[in-house]
Amino acid sequence: MNASTKKKGLCLCSIMFPKRVDRLVATTKLKKFIVTFAYYLVLCSLAFVFVYPFLKMLVTSVMSDSDLVNITVTWLPSEIVWENYKVAFKQLGYKSYFINSLQITLIGTLGHLLSCSLAGYGFARYKFKLNGVLFAVVVLSMLVPVQTLIFPLYIQYSKMGLIKVLKGYVPILLPCFFGYGLNGAFFIFLFRQFFSGLPKEMEEAARIDGCGALMTFFRIMLPMSKASILVSTVLSVVWHWNDYFEPNIYITNGGDQVLPSRLPALYKLLNMEETMDLVEEMGGFLFNNGMLMAGTFLVVLPILIIYAFLQKQFMEGVERSGLTGM
Amino acid sequence: MKKEKAKQKRKFLTMEKRRVVEAYMFISPWIIGTAVFFVNAIISSIKLSFSDIVQLKGFVMEYVGLANYEHIFMFDINFMPTFIEVVVDTLINTPLTLVFSLIIAMLINRKAPGRGFFRTTFFLPVLLGSGYVMEQLLQIDATGAVGVGITLPAMFQGILGNTFAPLIQAVLDRITVILWRSGVQIILFLAGLQGISSSLYEAAKCDGATQWEVFWKITLPMISPIILLNFVYTMVTYFAAADNALVKYIIKSVFTDKQFARGAAMGWVYFAFAFVMCGVVFVAAAGLSKKEER
Repeated sequence: MNASTKKKGLCLCSIMFPKRVDRLVATTKLKKFIVTFAYYLVLCSLAFVFVYPFLKMLVTSVMSDSDLVNITVTWLPSEIVWENYKVAFKQLGYKSYFINSLQITLIGTLGHLLSCSLAGYGFARYKFKLNGVLFAVVVLSMLVPVQTLIFPLYIQYSKMGLIKVLKGYVPILLPCFFGYGLNGAFFIFLFRQFFSGLPKEMEEAARIDGCGALMTFFRIMLPMSKASILVSTVLSVVWHWNDYFEPNIYITNGGDQVLPSRLPALYKLLNMEETMDLVEEMGGFLFNNGMLMAGTFLVVLPILIIYAFLQKQFMEGVERSGLTGM
Repeated sequence: MKKEKAKQKRKFLTMEKRRVVEAYMFISPWIIGTAVFFVNAIISSIKLSFSDIVQLKGFVMEYVGLANYEHIFMFDINFMPTFIEVVVDTLINTPLTLVFSLIIAMLINRKAPGRGFFRTTFFLPVLLGSGYVMEQLLQIDATGAVGVGITLPAMFQGILGNTFAPLIQAVLDRITVILWRSGVQIILFLAGLQGISSSLYEAAKCDGATQWEVFWKITLPMISPIILLNFVYTMVTYFAAADNALVKYIIKSVFTDKQFARGAAMGWVYFAFAFVMCGVVFVAAAGLSKKEER
């Protein structure tokens, strides 16, 4: 029985047997309550899987050494210790590496936004012979893992004399301005979907009034596509910030590295130096976990802060990106 | 003068041709990128996989035919097992990821109080990244097994006994990994679900369709393009993940053992498989949509 027939039944019943209706209303209320309860139960248990490692990281990062070794302490540390953060901050060299990461993230994101929105617009709005074929190439380039092409690309860059130029950031950032780089094809796809969902009247009016193609794009279309720009920006920033594969290969000078690739160094450092004897004594790895978790949290902290501010707009942007209109 | 010339030139182009020129102007950065960063690299990588590096300085290559591929399949004892393991893992994880992310997207698509919190929660994995951070959080070791996801409480372990406890733990581990890899997919599905016009649902309701029917007859067909996109995206992310055992093996053989040509050959075997898989998915999708039209 579905909702509408049930309602009809209720109306009929209320005329004929007023007492029975009360009971019926009570059961539907109960049913509703059970459905809501089940809904939140499922949501919460799913959310638990996501939150669990994150909470574990937070808790571990403020634990004192004795708590970390103590097996009985799993969730509530006996005291909150900030020492881990201080040490991790210092060992990571947070300030200078933060600036490195920031440079790569900002420039890379800018490149993605520019090149991918242009290409996406071209694919969405213009009919030309090779449109289908070229767009298939976009999808294909999404399929090829970076790892397969990294070596030929490395040779190519070294032939072009781009290796070790500008701290070695050029090979990482240059492709971003040409629709490649980290998931570039994905952004082209996103922009194409979004632009093909926009109404054509605005640009046609602009073109009739004598506005050039590029001018129309920058003055009319881009301001209208704030939603997809925001979505692409957030994703591009996050991916650039967290990426360590390309930086590990192209950035040879340790001082120019990005933040995430400092983490294993931190791990090794802690394992090798002062703690080594103790680790052996404890017979485990648990000992420096607190500091490592503090370091990990510090690395992702900027991203979390940015997302906290943009969360609402980001979700609205996702909802308006019009992905179903394919 | 210049302006006049430009005007004259413009007169020769028809409206249609001008549109084509404009189109190429928009995608020209991407075309340059494709030529330089994609096609070029692919060609040299294929070439490399059929040759041997004679001299490391200046990368002098010599054509050796299928020797590298032969080596991979005949002599390399690590390649095939790792390859099969990764393929099986991907084939299991991809559909599961899709199902889970669709369920989650449908759950948070409801207008219920508190959904803002849940949306942020489910997006957490994307924010925390896929690299070292995630590895640290899930304590994924080299074999890809999760150490500290959600561990079964000791009480349950006692009840379930030694045969079932590890099994359920393995299921939990896999679910943890899958859910942690489905952030972007949830977002894409959510965007798709939002794009379905509510009038369709109202019409279905008027005709007396049940929720179950609505899901199969409206929701699923409407988001089928996104299912395809997500399928490909998921498969690619599993295949290209930096913590993927085979990718690690390839990188190790290239950058640690300096076996450049063999690394390239391995990469191509791997890519060929990924390509075939995606091709199968595309063909299947096209076939399905044709059936629907009939």
